[in-house]
Amino acid sequence: MRRLRRRSGPWRSRLRPSDVLVTGTVGLRTRRARAALTAVGIAIGIASMVSVMGISSSSRADLLAALDELGTNLLQVRPGQDAFGESATLPADAPSMIRRIGPVDAATSLSQINAKVLRNDRLPAGTQNGIEVYGSEANLAATLGAGLAAGRSHDAASVRLPTVVLGAVAADRLGITDLSSGPRVSIGGQWFDVIGIYEPLPLNPDIDRAALIGLDVARERFEVKALPSAIYLRTAPEQVEQVRDVLARTAKPGNPNEVSVARPSDALAARAEVDRNLQNLLLGLGGVALLVGGIGIANVMVISVLERQAEIGVRRALGATRRHIRNQFVVESTLLSFIGGVLGVGAGFVVTAVYASRQGWQVALPIQGLVLGIAAALAIGALAGLYPAARAARLDPAEAIRPAA
Amino acid sequence: MTPEAPVLELQDVVREYPGSPPVRAIDGVSLRIDDGELVAIVGPSGSGKSTLMNLIGTLDRPTEGRLLVEGIDTGLLSDPALAGLRSARIGFVFQQFHLLAGMNAVDNVATGLLYRGESRRRRRRRSVAALERVGLGHRLDHTPNKLSGGERQRVAIARALVGDPAIVMADEPTGNLDTVTSTEIVQLLHTLHEEGSTIVVITHDRELAADLPRRVTVRDGRIVGDEGPTAARRRLEQEVAS
Repeated sequence: MRRLRRRSGPWRSRLRPSDVLVTGTVGLRTRRARAALTAVGIAIGIASMVSVMGISSSSRADLLAALDELGTNLLQVRPGQDAFGESATLPADAPSMIRRIGPVDAATSLSQINAKVLRNDRLPAGTQNGIEVYGSEANLAATLGAGLAAGRSHDAASVRLPTVVLGAVAADRLGITDLSSGPRVSIGGQWFDVIGIYEPLPLNPDIDRAALIGLDVARERFEVKALPSAIYLRTAPEQVEQVRDVLARTAKPGNPNEVSVARPSDALAARAEVDRNLQNLLLGLGGVALLVGGIGIANVMVISVLERQAEIGVRRALGATRRHIRNQFVVESTLLSFIGGVLGVGAGFVVTAVYASRQGWQVALPIQGLVLGIAAALAIGALAGLYPAARAARLDPAEAIRPAA
Repeated sequence: MTPEAPVLELQDVVREYPGSPPVRAIDGVSLRIDDGELVAIVGPSGSGKSTLMNLIGTLDRPTEGRLLVEGIDTGLLSDPALAGLRSARIGFVFQQFHLLAGMNAVDNVATGLLYRGESRRRRRRRSVAALERVGLGHRLDHTPNKLSGGERQRVAIARALVGDPAIVMADEPTGNLDTVTSTEIVQLLHTLHEEGSTIVVITHDRELAADLPRRVTVRDGRIVGDEGPTAARRRLEQEVAS
């Protein structure tokens, strides 16, 4: 059979760019309900991705702000275990030894006292409230950066008197919120004036459940040695690691292995990391939703092409080229997905804003997230439309107009 | 385009569909249609007239032979060039009307000009004129579902005419209409013919064909008759020429 090189003739089909767009909307306008339902598929995917990005970036912004405020230069020294797995102790001079390390700006020690705190001395001795009593130093609040919800913290004078400062949880459990009536509590059977209540300390949750009395008062009244059960110290920010390395040896030169050293801010930073894993999981789910949405569009477009065979045939008869038909359907599916993308970004923004305001966060939605959402929708729509559009363009016009029975 | 070239010319056209043995739907058809003719291509179902209509409308290509539109061999044209030819020179009217739902009459007619790259405003103006020509000046904003069958077919005829094509192909234009409406549509075709349009009506309806000035009868893929005043004059002219 002879091969002909076919050429262009004196007539050319032309479709204006604005008409390409208009023909792309024909299917959407004539099948509105279907278009809306299909767009919702994409909207859900985009909305979940945008809100995941928005919520996690709002939460991380909040967490990082908190870390900034609390500082990452706080270190904690506690007694660990000895070689036999028994609880070890810290020497009584450990705090003063640690204060001698150059980059250590401040250090304060807590010594646990085996005594019960009760609202009054008439409660049975067996009453449990989970509040620990510590002997503490006057520089505790300054070293930890602890804020006061009421009253004041210990100073050089009050630390030598039978006074107590309560952690936030401890005060709550004892039912003390107001210091104007001069409340007292019974600690180990002795009366102590409550002079202050700390605000919650995110880096030192132990102190939230503590009743803090002066170390010297504790030794005197309860006749105990009161060895340090925790030492908190602030270092120069750039030398945290170096200080950390020498802390164990300094605190207990004989047995550094029996000392446990930690950086409380690591726990918060870890939370940010955990959030990131969760975010990836949710983003993955959003991606799956988007994929399903894309498949939904492709499906609906395939059905649409089948239903609209006659229209395709008529358009070909009226002079549309295969390319015109293909573009019409690609534009249609892209528009469909774009509508879904816009709806999804809007919904994602609303979800983020509502969630963030409930948590008391600033709304931090990266603009890239919005642009990315729309771009993803456009790309998915165009991709999903390619196959149905190619099928539409391949249709034989004669058969499309009059499908074989 | 040579001025004396016929609007449409088929030279020994064959259309074979693959199979074993291959099916010859059109078997060596030669036909010439001149400017201003109103021709019926008539034959029973299975005679090959639908294949012939697809070939004449350039929706299908001959397996053998040549098909010329205004002197241009369509076998030499690429697919996009054929689409261009259809957009500029051929109008279609279908039995099922094939109007686009949800679009009013003017917009439907305007799709006849869509693939010519004309401006929206110009398309609209020409469409209104075409609708007035087929007697639907009062139905411009009606969507197909608000029009009667006869009105729908008038819209379809306006769509076929709006671009001043060299030839209008009407495939069973009265097939879905009642007798009274059919008569009106045939009357409209006569009027358009008198105004100068070249129209080919493909039908199985001998009664409808009998009204038209030229009747080409197709059977088993071959032309078995070509009669009517126009055909007689043609034969006379050819004898004089030779």
